[in-house]
Amino acid sequence: MSDRPAASLRLDSPLRLISSLRLDSPARAAGAVLLLAAVAGPLWLTDFWLQAGLFAMAAAVGAIGLTLLVGVAGQLSLGHAFFLGVGAYTYTLLAGEREDGMSGFGLPPVAALLAAAAVAGAAGAAFSPIAGRLRGIYLGLASLGLVFLGRHVWLNAEDVTGGYNGRTVEAFAVPGFSFSDEDPDYLAVLGTPFGELHRLWYLFLAVALLAAYCGRGIKAGRAGRAMAGVRDGETAAASVGIRVARVKATAFTVSSVYAGVAGALTALAFGRVAPDSFALTVSIDYLVMIVLGGAGSIAGASAGAVFVSVLPLMLVQYSAHLPFLSAPGSGGVDAATLSRFVYGVAIVAVLIFLRGGLAGALRHLGIRTARAGRPSRPARPAERSTPKESAP
Amino acid sequence: MTIRPLAAAALCLAALTACSTTDPDAGPGDGDGSGIRTGNGVTDSEIRIGVLTDLSGPFKAGAAVQVQEKKAYWAARSAQGGICDRKITMDVRDHGYNPQRAVSLYRSMAPDVVALQQVLGSPAVAAVLPLAEKDDLYVGGMGWASVALEYQVAQIPGTTYSIESANAVDYLVDTLKVPAGSTIGHVYFEGDFGGDSLAGAEHAAAARGLKIHPIKITPQDSDMSAQAAALERAGVKGVILGASPSQLSSLASVLASNGVDVPLIGNTPTFSPALLNTPAREGLLKNFYTVTSVAPYNGEGAAVKTAAEMFEKNAPDGTKGWEVPLAYGQSELLAEALEKACENGDLTPKGVVAAMHETSGLDTQGLFSGTLDYTKPGEPPTRKVFVSRADPEAPGGLKVLDTIEGPSALSYKFE
Amino acid sequence: MSYLLTQLVNGVSLGLVLGLIAVGFVVVFKSTGVLNFAHGSVLLLGAYLVARLHPELGFWGALAAGVAGAALVAALINTLLVRRVAEHDPGVLAILTIGVDILLLTELTRQIGNDVLDIGAPWGASVVGAAGVSLPASRAIAAGTAVVLFAALGALAARTDWGLAMRAAAADPDTASLMGIRLSRTSAVGWGLAGALAAVAGVFLTSYPTPGVEPGVSVVAFAAIPAWVLGGFDSVPGAVAGGLVIGVAQALAIGYESELHFLGGGFGEVVPYAVMVLVLLLRPHGLFGQKEAIRV
Repeated sequence: MSDRPAASLRLDSPLRLISSLRLDSPARAAGAVLLLAAVAGPLWLTDFWLQAGLFAMAAAVGAIGLTLLVGVAGQLSLGHAFFLGVGAYTYTLLAGEREDGMSGFGLPPVAALLAAAAVAGAAGAAFSPIAGRLRGIYLGLASLGLVFLGRHVWLNAEDVTGGYNGRTVEAFAVPGFSFSDEDPDYLAVLGTPFGELHRLWYLFLAVALLAAYCGRGIKAGRAGRAMAGVRDGETAAASVGIRVARVKATAFTVSSVYAGVAGALTALAFGRVAPDSFALTVSIDYLVMIVLGGAGSIAGASAGAVFVSVLPLMLVQYSAHLPFLSAPGSGGVDAATLSRFVYGVAIVAVLIFLRGGLAGALRHLGIRTARAGRPSRPARPAERSTPKESAP
Repeated sequence: MTIRPLAAAALCLAALTACSTTDPDAGPGDGDGSGIRTGNGVTDSEIRIGVLTDLSGPFKAGAAVQVQEKKAYWAARSAQGGICDRKITMDVRDHGYNPQRAVSLYRSMAPDVVALQQVLGSPAVAAVLPLAEKDDLYVGGMGWASVALEYQVAQIPGTTYSIESANAVDYLVDTLKVPAGSTIGHVYFEGDFGGDSLAGAEHAAAARGLKIHPIKITPQDSDMSAQAAALERAGVKGVILGASPSQLSSLASVLASNGVDVPLIGNTPTFSPALLNTPAREGLLKNFYTVTSVAPYNGEGAAVKTAAEMFEKNAPDGTKGWEVPLAYGQSELLAEALEKACENGDLTPKGVVAAMHETSGLDTQGLFSGTLDYTKPGEPPTRKVFVSRADPEAPGGLKVLDTIEGPSALSYKFE
Repeated sequence: MSYLLTQLVNGVSLGLVLGLIAVGFVVVFKSTGVLNFAHGSVLLLGAYLVARLHPELGFWGALAAGVAGAALVAALINTLLVRRVAEHDPGVLAILTIGVDILLLTELTRQIGNDVLDIGAPWGASVVGAAGVSLPASRAIAAGTAVVLFAALGALAARTDWGLAMRAAAADPDTASLMGIRLSRTSAVGWGLAGALAAVAGVFLTSYPTPGVEPGVSVVAFAAIPAWVLGGFDSVPGAVAGGLVIGVAQALAIGYESELHFLGGGFGEVVPYAVMVLVLLLRPHGLFGQKEAIRV
């Protein structure tokens, strides 16, 4: 993920090509390794890790959206789970077939996914007049109400949502290829059979990369600068000509679009939608992701999403090998309890000791090593200051 | 940026040449020397079964009791020579009532087990059953919601909540003499447990000329005073409760202190012996009944006694509840299916599911009411239930009064 | 008629308990500007201490210990954590309290284990009744206690230096600090007071007719958030009124569920939030709140 627009690079010199990759920066090298590992993931990961990875990538998309709203634009939202739910149910309703007394439109899954983004975005836009009038915790509380109201509707609109139990989600497909165990029924790459999880992995990876790319663009662009202005002071922003209400509406809409896509992806990874997947705790989990990663940082939000989605799974999966854990139900610290503790401690510690979250800490580290190595290279601007477009 | 399309194209090309769409091992599974086909979770010396349960969420108390009893059962069974000359080991995972975690853990367990003896918690069950159906993997101990009947791989341990409630209405009319035309209350959790319970009660009420006054609640509601007042206002002559012990405790005590003296009948999960030490005690002893297809701890059958002895030996301080005979009974059901699969020479996950559907006329020596028949898809294995009353003298707090199979329980249709 | 009256009385008594919790939100918000998500687990802590200690100390001793313990922990959360956060952004502080809530709640859940702990209140399961309306004694006592506490709080705010300091701190922390008001002490007292009130509310919420102390009790604090919002964030009488509105609305929604079926089953649970969103739409600063003036 280069900061530079592609057009500025020419393929005239191999030297330049290599330098354009800039693998000399540790962060970039790490990123390249991560990307390679992710692309090759389905070849060596077990189903458990693939499933965990799908949840993590879906969460990353949602977290990027939330960090644009909370971190960049400074609008506290506890309603993210609501917009995730809107996306998930929209996809399920539009892509689903009419059967068992359930409504369904049987649209192509691609259209349903786009509609999920659009409908969630529209819900965000519809909420933004309220958002425009409220600030800080007032806004957080109003959005808290959304989560409970949404849950009530989903529980009761049984022919659309399946009520409390939820309903099955139609597999994603493009013409001629299904991201499920069928069509083609058997597919192997380098000798590894590619089932539903393997196929979805690439879909999710592509969407997550696209989400990160767009997120960086938005943050660095005009909209992002206006959002940061609103965050740093509405009155001051208004005095330099930023239309505060409109910027807030944009932030809400963009973040809801991200949430809608993330919701649809979560539904696909899960194979089901149920109201419990979009409860208040989910909103809180997303806030935790972006705080751990460093509010406002795209990479930080993604890292936070992976941490929050994978940590409890890992602890439960490997609890038998962790000697300090006691058996569940024995009253000692079991795996699930430990993961809650790690969560809580991580939030408190990051907020008190690590300003800017993991991203901030890494950046400080990066600046230090860069300075030690090549003092000429300027440090990237700090997260909290207004992001600047990088020079072409 | 520029190098990436090239790299990607190269990768795609490499991947394409490495692609194949014909399954090389679409043939039959592996066999061993004895001619028994085996697959996931079975070796020459071991049969591995999974338990995906909630040991850290709201159901941890009952779930832990069940895990203890199952471990003891399989240890004893293995010590007696095991099944198919193999010892049985149990892989227990805790999803903490989080369905997403349950799905991930299912993915990690499914390739290594021949059957899932238990998946606990209705959101987890709803998420896991479709996956197991696709994998042809046996799932047991998923609660008693009717939705399980839609899955070939599910072995429901007894009858459904709907049949329990239909029997409850029959019992109210036939034995407790609630007159025709009366209203009975139905307080239930949203979801497949409460919803199923309500469906059975509504069918039975229509058949027996009663009216139902339904009140939907959530597991977080633990103060039932407003609900009790609503029931009193509706003039109910009986109440059916499809909820958990918290709600039973509150409802029984409020109704008793308001002088509403009507029978209160609960589905299986509503009762816990600890309630007899709360302010609800008087109300429960006077008016509480429960309809269950698994015997209470104090049940009379020989196998129930064995289950209780085994439990007391392994967990002397454990909570004595209906979970003990349930866990023992589920183990018996799975053991039956495994034995049959071994006889059939097919100890693959698919073979276990097929063997399970051959079970009929199974007498569980009092663990479950009636004889169990799993040969008819879409039907519960029995429609009989135990009716029990709260009894402070009985271990486990319940004493069996009767076994019934009421007319509306028999006429209830599953869609 | 007596049915309506029963539900109203139920609602009022529940509303006063919600008011106790909502006032805690107000006091914390006024003294430090924090939306305190850890309020629910502090409430649970208070109730838990009472339930654990009453066999040894007796109920009243345990009550004192529970109230003191909850107050102390709340004040410590403020002193040790909230005041350490460099960024005084309301969103960041709210998230910090979420972290604290997770820690406290996880530990309490582990301690409570599989039990439902009896609170050991002397009023037990007795019921008081008049004019065809019966009410659990615990709820009647709760209502009385809440009224007394609200009056005491009013006096505290109006007549003492602390009340004055708190109002000054809420109006303008920097000026207050310049004028010699020790914000650290003002805010510690505010948090401690909120914790104490939460513990009292916790005792009533875990008395008959609920089964006892279990981890789910902490969720009730969330139902008090709409009460607080309704009252306008910084007004103690507003929080009490908000609690009453929410309590009565919830009791009526449950009591008349069969008549309100078009709103969907289980509407009682979401009534507080529906009311909250409605009020925020019509009056963004609540029924009793003062509008912040922003000029450009």
